[in-house]
Amino acid sequence: MNIIEKFIIDEVAYNLNRTEIPEEENLLKTGIIDSMAIIKLVTFIEETFKMRISEEDLVPENFQDLKSITGYVEKHAIT
Amino acid sequence: MNDIDIKKYHKMEKTMDFEFSKSQLMIKKEAIRFAQKELDDDVSEREKTGVFPISLWKKCADYGVLGSAFPEQYGGADADILSTVLMMEGLGYGCRDNGLIFSLNSQIWTVQMPICKFGTEHQKDKYLTKLCKGELIGSHGMTEPDSGSDAFSLKTSARREGDYYIINGTKTFTSLAPVAELFLIFATIDESKGFMGITAFLVEKNYPGFQVGKDIKKMGLKTAPMAELVMNDCRVPVENRLGKEGNGAAIFDEDAEWERSCILAGMVGCMERQIETCIKYARSRQQFKQPIGKFQSVANKIVDMKIRLETSRLILYRLAWMKGKKQKATMDAAIAKLYLSESYVKSCLDAVQIHGGYGYTTEYGIERDLRDSIASTLYSGTSEIQKNIIAKFLGL
Repeated sequence: MNIIEKFIIDEVAYNLNRTEIPEEENLLKTGIIDSMAIIKLVTFIEETFKMRISEEDLVPENFQDLKSITGYVEKHAIT
Repeated sequence: MNDIDIKKYHKMEKTMDFEFSKSQLMIKKEAIRFAQKELDDDVSEREKTGVFPISLWKKCADYGVLGSAFPEQYGGADADILSTVLMMEGLGYGCRDNGLIFSLNSQIWTVQMPICKFGTEHQKDKYLTKLCKGELIGSHGMTEPDSGSDAFSLKTSARREGDYYIINGTKTFTSLAPVAELFLIFATIDESKGFMGITAFLVEKNYPGFQVGKDIKKMGLKTAPMAELVMNDCRVPVENRLGKEGNGAAIFDEDAEWERSCILAGMVGCMERQIETCIKYARSRQQFKQPIGKFQSVANKIVDMKIRLETSRLILYRLAWMKGKKQKATMDAAIAKLYLSESYVKSCLDAVQIHGGYGYTTEYGIERDLRDSIASTLYSGTSEIQKNIIAKFLGL
């Protein structure tokens, strides 16, 4: 389980008792990521990976599932 | 940790400072002077007719209110956020027209700031300069008849057709709509994508299919005009989309955070003015052969007003500092909006109570502050929504 998946399970969707999130599950359609959750997730990613996420990048292509989120972070995180 | 470790930390650089610079204090002082001299006309007369004070708006623009926090190349002063907030506090102290102060802030934080942050150079050149200079009035259109607190469940739709978007829908409670010529409108381009289908558009009043609907009468902020907007196959050029498709929710969240952080600065100034008015009244009004300020039940109310003022100031200034540092402040902005607005209402109620029957009459303007204050617990997200936001960030 990657750190982003763990955050989503423990903090964003803690009331859903999930133990895993398939990497292509559409988190927007299932409502796991709503407008408030995205802010919490962005804050977590920025603090954990020491990066800045531009509001212009908050589009479905980058945040609709775990695969796209992880891909976005890998591309933009400071290494 | 032993004593030696602690001493090491004591010697490190310290940065917390509760003192304003001389220039910041001067900014507030000059704003008070400007407001008392130029903006303090007969508000009660204008309130009866609901006339928007366009001449005062232009005076504020010329003074630099609208452009304070914006780059010089767009007609702004490039001032830091804390200084801008201090200026707003000064205006709120010196000007009794809460509707004017609210309207200025509404345009600055919910129209100008999104354009500045997300606009193309063309959009900034075309609109931002004119907005900062008071040559164009802008209005923010998000709320709909069936989506208020649940803002992202909006139904206004936009579909792409060649070089245009075709927008259909209705907006309500749109501040400045009757006098604005530019509108920041939020519409969904794909409902199946939920909040990430929302897109923002800059709509000019003369675009085909756009109409400003009926004026909306309110219990307070009567000099801040408000109306519905109706879009019926409204054609908006693609170049007037603000940000990318699907960016609308992020843009709205950003401007909401700015608004919650800064819009109540003027009210803090008003709270200070109210305390002075109440002290003056409590010292002079005699009942039972002594000033009513000698009665604890009156004095304690003024004490409470003072505590609310000082705690509101601390929250406001810290938030302005955070925004100036470009820090994420979603929960902090919600705390500020909730606390300052609720404090403002309580203080307005106390001011009426302290003045007794005179506070209830319209002659002294005290009841007007109370009527105006109620809106602050509603706009920019109700108090209940602010609590929801805080709860979410607490992990609940």
